[in-house]
Amino acid sequence: MAKRITGSLLSAMVLASSLLCSSVAGAAEQADPLQSPMWDYTRQIFLGQMPWQFDARVKVSAPPFAEDPTQVPITVDASALDGEIDKVIAWADLNPIQHIFTWFPGDKVKPRVSLRIKVQQATPVRAAVLTRDGVWHVGGVQLEAAGGGCTAPSTGNADPYWESHLGEIASRRFGSAQSSRYRFKVVHPMDTGLVNNIPEFFLEQLELRDSAGKAVVKMQLYPPVSENPVFTFDLKGNVGQHQLWLRDNSGNEFEQTL
Amino acid sequence: MLSNKSRAWVPLMAGLTLSLVSFCAAAQTFDYQLAPQQIAPDTWVLQGKMQDFSRKNGGNIVNTGFVVTEQGVVVFDTGPSHRYGKALRAAIAKITDQPIVHVLNSHHHPDHFLGNQAFADSTIWALPGTGQKIAQQGGAFADNMYRLVGDWMRDTDVQLPHKPLEIDSLALGNHRFRFYPMTGHSGADLLMLDETTGVLFASDMVFYQRALTTPHTPGLDIWQQDMARIDEIPYRQLVPGHGPIVQDRAATAQMRDYLSWLDTTFRNAAEQGLSMTELMATPLPDRFAEVRLSRAEFARSVVHLYPRYEDAAF
Ligand SMILES: [Zn+2]
Repeated sequence: MAKRITGSLLSAMVLASSLLCSSVAGAAEQADPLQSPMWDYTRQIFLGQMPWQFDARVKVSAPPFAEDPTQVPITVDASALDGEIDKVIAWADLNPIQHIFTWFPGDKVKPRVSLRIKVQQATPVRAAVLTRDGVWHVGGVQLEAAGGGCTAPSTGNADPYWESHLGEIASRRFGSAQSSRYRFKVVHPMDTGLVNNIPEFFLEQLELRDSAGKAVVKMQLYPPVSENPVFTFDLKGNVGQHQLWLRDNSGNEFEQTL
Repeated sequence: MLSNKSRAWVPLMAGLTLSLVSFCAAAQTFDYQLAPQQIAPDTWVLQGKMQDFSRKNGGNIVNTGFVVTEQGVVVFDTGPSHRYGKALRAAIAKITDQPIVHVLNSHHHPDHFLGNQAFADSTIWALPGTGQKIAQQGGAFADNMYRLVGDWMRDTDVQLPHKPLEIDSLALGNHRFRFYPMTGHSGADLLMLDETTGVLFASDMVFYQRALTTPHTPGLDIWQQDMARIDEIPYRQLVPGHGPIVQDRAATAQMRDYLSWLDTTFRNAAEQGLSMTELMATPLPDRFAEVRLSRAEFARSVVHLYPRYEDAAF
């Protein structure tokens, strides 16, 4: 297993270096502030040939180090670009599976989301925001591998709790006059397919729908999202009921009124 | 190793890191320069640095201690590595010719027991829960220590405790030791009071001027209950697991203050709907901000403990 990952990571890095010479015109002078060997490669994968710029208005928050590499909290906040956003992509350069999510925020939700992710090692975590004028705005943060105080990182457990609780949703709405925040947790193993011959099994679609059934949050998820993921979304305004809908890659659908 | 982390990525970097570490560290001398400090009759403490594990300190961030009786020596904790264990043994030999009879491991965290190999010819005691946790997690801890401090760890293997500590007290020479098993810090934590001198070896149940760590606490409520029990112990001097020795109740007062603040802060955050990254940005009160490593340990504690508070608030 380890061999397989190493192989794909190595070939990606070789590819990355061969792509160094073909960066998009006009952006070549912008050096990666996170100095990642994978930047040119991941940029090609996720942004393609479209124009892009590093932009401090796209904020990615993470702790200074990954205390538990299976549960690293991140927040992506593009509030400064609110009203112009088409979609948001998040990824981790040095993960064996880099893609974390693709999000179409729409105009009913603030462009800010918090969740937890898995990382393999120290890595840049990035978010790219595509604005309606066709430009990608890229922000990111460097996440260090586990620090260490008195002990090693805590070890997870192999408790098959999820088998009898798959798709159970716990949630709460936190309201104020101008906005309402939804936090929810979904029981799901979010298996990557890279460990111990356990096939990949993960939530891949998430929608928050208003009472008319229209999606106000639409997000595609990938295996680096943590087991039993917890999400935080902020809706504009504080009216109406919402329904959470999820589907995993085995076709299981989960639905709950929040 | 880490195979119980079933849903993690494969830990493929471990082997690579190891070989790099051994290569880069060749220039260092690896001398812990242990200097036992006498704090009471027959009683010495080796105070570690108030830091995180690093390649510079070799993992010597911990307090260990020993008591010399006319029938042999009792050692409380063996340090972070085989090298440390040997250095501790050499430091004891400079002070007494007495044999080392009893060795105690306060709990299963790596900086407290990975020096055990140097004491394999003594009786190594630990609470039954500590023995089990060392057997289950000791190897992963040792691997992680190699990663964090490098070649200081050379030849370090897990030496399990020999005997489960299921007695309340033990006499050796003219010293009588009383044991207090607790759980607040790691699930199995041993405190030892030398009734002859009034010195309490408090293990990691007590940190002082260095922020406490929470990766294996059964809960802040349990730790707080244990703190109340510690305050009833008739000690005259307290040796914390990390940080300076105290002759008063300052260390336990700081512990109680911080544990209570942490518990309240997490509960309020969950009730307000804060995410983990928002909670991590919470400013620390001045009285905690000046405690060593408080900012980093607060962030770690959020990761360890906030999910429980979130679950309770959902
Ligand atoms: Zn400890």
